[in-house]
Amino acid sequence: MTNNRIARLAVNEEGFVFDPQTGESFTVNDTGKTILKALIESKAQEGIAIKLTEQFNVSHQEAQADVRDFIQHLRAYQLL
Amino acid sequence: MDDIFVAVTGINASDNPAPGIGVARSLKGQNVKIAGLAYDAMEPGIYMDWLIDKSFLIPYPSAGSEALMERLLYIKQHFGLDVVVPTLDSELPFFIKYRSELEHHGIKTCLPSEEQFRLRSKERLAAIAEQSGLQAPKQAIVTSYNELAKAVQEIGLPVMVKGTLYKAYHAHTLEEAMAYFGKIVAQWGYPVIVQQAVTGEEMNVIGVGDGAGNLPGRVAVKKMSVTELGKIWTGVTIQHPGLLEATQRFVATTRWRGAFEMECIVDQDTVYLIEINPRFPAWVYFATGVGINLPIMLLKLALGETVETAGEYQAGKLYIRYTDEQICDMSRFQNIVTRGES
Repeated sequence: MTNNRIARLAVNEEGFVFDPQTGESFTVNDTGKTILKALIESKAQEGIAIKLTEQFNVSHQEAQADVRDFIQHLRAYQLL
Repeated sequence: MDDIFVAVTGINASDNPAPGIGVARSLKGQNVKIAGLAYDAMEPGIYMDWLIDKSFLIPYPSAGSEALMERLLYIKQHFGLDVVVPTLDSELPFFIKYRSELEHHGIKTCLPSEEQFRLRSKERLAAIAEQSGLQAPKQAIVTSYNELAKAVQEIGLPVMVKGTLYKAYHAHTLEEAMAYFGKIVAQWGYPVIVQQAVTGEEMNVIGVGDGAGNLPGRVAVKKMSVTELGKIWTGVTIQHPGLLEATQRFVATTRWRGAFEMECIVDQDTVYLIEINPRFPAWVYFATGVGINLPIMLLKLALGETVETAGEYQAGKLYIRYTDEQICDMSRFQNIVTRGES
């Protein structure tokens, strides 16, 4: 059940995230929102890093690190 | 269609609110006349005439069943009384025991049976949790300081020290547990329950069972903030599959009849059953506000009408309590004090 939790998250355009299963809510910045939405759509990590590179004018290496870091955070909150 | 006369108890909308006002608010707007039953002339519901059509003082349960029955029959005769909705734990044994007699006098109820009422008692929580596919915290029933000390040692600190009907305290040391034990015994008597303090998010489900194993309506919420007395101040509706499935199983296996509130602590996918209250909570209007009018379902069941299963509610709806004041004429207070009705 935990693994499906991210798919159930509701993310709005301002980066407000609501978990309908636990009632928890939190906010993410634009980078976080992009990563989260891509993860909800089951995109692969590499694809998400490419998207970040295109969208935020960062190096591919930096984008990969951001994706890894964000995923770690999600795991820490047991959303992944 | 003629008006239905409904009496609701627990109209004390104070900082420790009773469920009556939420029930009355949910019933308002239907063809219902509401009598508020109060124990004290200062219960705010008496003065909320936009919800309560008429208020009556009633004797405390300690005055005996005869006095309360007599008062209910007086209300039936002078105001009208088709259905009574008791909302306080301490009143339920009377209304359950005298259900048939009330029915004989034309006063209907929708309550659990005596067996169902016993089944959900805190003492038998583990069995009902297992039947519903939930975890139950370790617990022991104690009646002395020696038993308390033994239970704390077996369960391990911290523990919850609880009365069988009211009060629950979080104790981090044996000394604290002993102090709370004394406090509960002094106010509510024996026995006292010592329970493992489990960690997680506090989530509750309220609903109505039809007595045939069906659950026509239920709503799950997470308490976002509570008052110093532990009462919900803000909350949010949730859709927790494990919790909702367990609720369904609880109603199906017990064939629960009437209102209930399941109090749970959820740690990821582990759901601990902490308590089952055989009544609505004070925040019952939250369910009505998200489209699941449980008091109306209860009323229909009491009247023997068919109740359709409600549709699904939306997760993410907020509940926010606030304080309010009202100013009214002294005459209403005078009436309730001198005549016992207003």
